[in-house]
Amino acid sequence: MKAVFTMWRNTRMIILASVCAAIYGAALIAFKTAIPLIPGITEVRVANIFPMVFSLLFGPAGAWGTAFGNLIGDIFGGTLGPASAAGFVGNFLLGYLPYAMWTTFVPFAERSREWNVGSWRSWINYILISFLSSASCAVVISVVVDALGIVPYAVLTKIITLNDTFASWIGVILLTSVFGITKEQLGLFWPEVMEERDVGHPLAGTIGAWLVALSAVTGLFGGTIGLPMPTTGWVCSLAIMVGCLLL
Amino acid sequence: MNIFLYLDKGTWIHHLDPRTKMIGTLILFLICLCFNHPLYMGGISLGVMAIALSARALFNFWRVRYILILLITFSTVMWPFFAEGTTPLWSWGSLRISEESLLYGIAMGLRLATFVATGIILLSTTRNEELTNGLIRLGLPYPVAFALSTALRLVPTFAGAAATIVQAQISRGLDLESGSLISRIGKFIPQAVPLFVYAIRHTNLLAMALESKGFDPESPRTLYYEPRMRKIDYLTLILLSGVLVISTYMRLGLGLGIAMPGRM
Repeated sequence: MKAVFTMWRNTRMIILASVCAAIYGAALIAFKTAIPLIPGITEVRVANIFPMVFSLLFGPAGAWGTAFGNLIGDIFGGTLGPASAAGFVGNFLLGYLPYAMWTTFVPFAERSREWNVGSWRSWINYILISFLSSASCAVVISVVVDALGIVPYAVLTKIITLNDTFASWIGVILLTSVFGITKEQLGLFWPEVMEERDVGHPLAGTIGAWLVALSAVTGLFGGTIGLPMPTTGWVCSLAIMVGCLLL
Repeated sequence: MNIFLYLDKGTWIHHLDPRTKMIGTLILFLICLCFNHPLYMGGISLGVMAIALSARALFNFWRVRYILILLITFSTVMWPFFAEGTTPLWSWGSLRISEESLLYGIAMGLRLATFVATGIILLSTTRNEELTNGLIRLGLPYPVAFALSTALRLVPTFAGAAATIVQAQISRGLDLESGSLISRIGKFIPQAVPLFVYAIRHTNLLAMALESKGFDPESPRTLYYEPRMRKIDYLTLILLSGVLVISTYMRLGLGLGIAMPGRM
């Protein structure tokens, strides 16, 4: 988690966070009414093809960019409210977990931070992590939104997870298209932009990754096996946060 | 493409310090959380509407009218089926609605609309620069505030570019209206790639421009715009805090404004 804080010393990473936030915010606004699911409440978030791509390319700048981008979407969309704070944290996880779990989610983890289109391990890792980060985002947002009385936990967790997971899976086409340009031509691949000492190496990364994975799945499906909801959701959210600290 | 909600009206709310407006907004959010009975929530909603009237922000309410109506309707219709009350009103198979859950649903619809209305008042009366300035003065580190304000400035540019790319692709025959859900999402990829590359090319240029001007994220800095807290700011905060204290006492001390016990 060290890089999340040390990135603010690096001018390029700060600009990357801004640009990611602006792209995500702009896409949320531009494509907001493209494919509505429940009019006014939620739509197929086409913009959610971006967070996974941002995360794997820009690391912590992608995480902050996704969080700020969602907040900007609320600001320009006129839906700023207390749920925006939960949206900020949830979307931060959506941008944070993919790069943090990429090399720690053993046995599926990749050895390198790079996206390797020819490696089956990269594909499995991508598919699993996009689901787990989406579920973590959904659990954290839904417990708060339920407590505020906006939308019930049981409904929202499923909608957010499905929405984010499918969009992230489709985002793999974008990642494959732009990875080479970003890394080779523009030199903006995050481990090469940040100083090595600022990146940090988690000591209990694998434990953190599995804690996040188990908590996200329990938070999502706990209700179907009879666990009390949304109380279990709160416990899972706390466990996800602890897991993130270990990553 | 004007996507900003700020309205240059010069009312007393516009002239408040951005910190007052942000803290005031948070207090109003907390007041909304004090009650879950529609009668009490209705009172709070009317109070917020009076503030909106005073801020001359009703134009923005008109802009988001469909979202507001749908939010109230959706919340009011959905909550009665999920919240459990003690006085049965209607049932059909496993679906049950109680008197308490119906009242709770209406209250939650009003609460959600009041949240959105409060946010709209803040955004209608506060420029983006004032928002980031207020956040810095409330303790947000400068690099974070800088990233946020840069992003806010870039959004209209990128949103405009996204709209142009969509139009260009449609004019070349891209059909975004038909096909299955998955295929329709897939059709956005041809738009996302040019948007991404267009935007990311800005990064190196912007970083070079900043570094050539001696930008250092960690150095202390002075600000050109330095708002001051005035008497009206303190009065506003005291008044709102008073309403919050009274509302909390009514809920916790007197047990008023509760349609659904055990829920916020």
